[in-house]
Amino acid sequence: MASDPQWMGYHRADGAVGVRNDLLVLSVAGLTGPCARRVAAALPLAKCVTMPFGGGLLGADRQLHIESLIGFGANPNVGAVLLIGSDVPKVQLIAQRLKATGKPVAAVCLDDCDHDVLTLSHRALRAGADLLHEISRNRRQSAPVSALCVGLECGRSDPSSGLVANPLIGLLTDRLVALGATAIFGESMEWLGAEHWLAARAVSPTVAQALTSAAARRASLAQAQGEDLLGNNPGPTNIAAGLSTIEEKSLGAVAKSGTASIQGVLRMAERPSKPGLYAMDGSAYSPESVSGFVAAGAQLVLFSTGVGNSYVSLLAPTLKICANPQAAAVLRNQLDFDASAVFAGHSTLHNAAEALMLLLLEVASGTLTWGEILNEGDEVVSRLGEAL
Amino acid sequence: MSKPSAPHSTPPRDALLLTPADDVATALRPLHAGQQASVQGLQGTLLIRQDIPFCHKVACRDIAAGDRVRKYGEVIGMASTAIRAGDHVHVHNIRSVRI
Repeated sequence: MASDPQWMGYHRADGAVGVRNDLLVLSVAGLTGPCARRVAAALPLAKCVTMPFGGGLLGADRQLHIESLIGFGANPNVGAVLLIGSDVPKVQLIAQRLKATGKPVAAVCLDDCDHDVLTLSHRALRAGADLLHEISRNRRQSAPVSALCVGLECGRSDPSSGLVANPLIGLLTDRLVALGATAIFGESMEWLGAEHWLAARAVSPTVAQALTSAAARRASLAQAQGEDLLGNNPGPTNIAAGLSTIEEKSLGAVAKSGTASIQGVLRMAERPSKPGLYAMDGSAYSPESVSGFVAAGAQLVLFSTGVGNSYVSLLAPTLKICANPQAAAVLRNQLDFDASAVFAGHSTLHNAAEALMLLLLEVASGTLTWGEILNEGDEVVSRLGEAL
Repeated sequence: MSKPSAPHSTPPRDALLLTPADDVATALRPLHAGQQASVQGLQGTLLIRQDIPFCHKVACRDIAAGDRVRKYGEVIGMASTAIRAGDHVHVHNIRSVRI
C-alpha cells in the first residue's frame, strides 16, 4: 500500500470533496414528493429524495427532519440542490443553509405557484436542467484520504460477519483514521455488551458516559415495549452458530469500528466537528442508520453482510463486503468485495484490507458499485414520535 | 472481470486467531479430536482435544477457572471451569461477565 494514497474527487467551495457530482432533487415537504419524483424522472441524471412527512413535527423529530434535509443537500457528493417545497419560510431556511456551502441551489415553492403543481413541476424542471448543465462542468482532481468520511454498517449478518467482514472493516477504519479521515459507526443497540470496550476508547469521560448511556437507553426503549435485549442474548440460533456470550456477539458487531479513539457520540444526522472516529446513536435498521451517516456527511459506506442485503445509500456509494462463500458466489451483482478467502482460511485479514483499500479509493474516484448500477439506493429519515 | 477480493496468500488454515492477545481461535471448518490444526495468527500447529463445530471456538492456551477469556483482543467472558489448549470453548465452560 502506498504511504500517501490519493483519489480523484470533486472539490467543493467549502473545502469538502465529493466522490460523486450529483444533482439532488430534494422534496422538503410531504406534499411535494410526487412533484419531486416527476421532475427527477424527467431528469434521469438527477437523484431524488422525498419523505412522506414534514408539517407538524415536534421537538427532536423536527430537529432531525431539518438536519437531515440540510445534511443530504450539504453532502459533498451533491454538486447542486433543487429544493421543492410547500411553504416559503421553510424552503428558504434550508436554501440559505445550503447556499452557505457555496454550491448552486435552486428553490421552488407551491406558495409561489398559486398551489398549482403543474406550474411547480414546470419551474422545477427548468431549474433542475440548468443546475445539471452547471455541475456538468465540474472535473475530478486529486484529493487526500483525509477528505473522506466513511459510514460503517452491517446488515443481515451471519457468523462470517463477526469473524471476518466486520474485523476487516475495522482494519480499514484504523487505516483511514490514521490517514486523517473521518469514520462513523452507529446501531447503538449493538453496543450493549461492548460498552466497556467502547467507553475505554473514548477521548474523554463525557464521551465514555455518552456511549454507555446511549446503549442503556436502547435497552430501556426495548424494555418499555416488553422486549428484553439482554436476557436470552445470544439466542439459540446464535449459540448454535458458536456465539457464547453477549460480549462476543457485540464485539463482533462493533469490530467495524476498529481500535481508534472515539471522538464523540453524534445524534442521527449530526455532522462531526473534526476528523476521527465517531459513534452515532441511532436506529440499527440499515436504511435509517445509513441515512444518518450520509446526512452527517459520509461520502462512502462500508457495509458488511453475511447472507446478503440489497440496501444501499442513494447519495453515498455503498461497498457491500461479504465473507460468506455461498453468498459471495450467488450474489455476484450485489456484493462489491469478496472476503470469503479469509473465511475459508486461504487469506489474511491484512491482505484483504489492502485489497479493500484499493477498491475504496477506486470507488471514491468514480468506479460504480453494484448498488449504483442497479439503482438500489434510498435515503430515509427516522421518525421518533407523533406529529401534531 | 473477477470481483475484487481478498487475494489467496496462505496455505489453507483450519482456524483463525483474530489478535495475538486472544485465548481462543475460531474454527474455519469442523475440527476433530486428535487433529493437528493450523491456525492463522499462531505459530506451529494446535492439537485439537475435542471435536469443534464450524465457527465454534477452540482454546489456544490453557485457561484457569475464573480467568477472563479473550477474542477480538477483548474479554468475551469468564472460564467457568479449567479449559485446556485444544478444548471446545462455548456456553458449557465460559459465561458472560456482564450478565
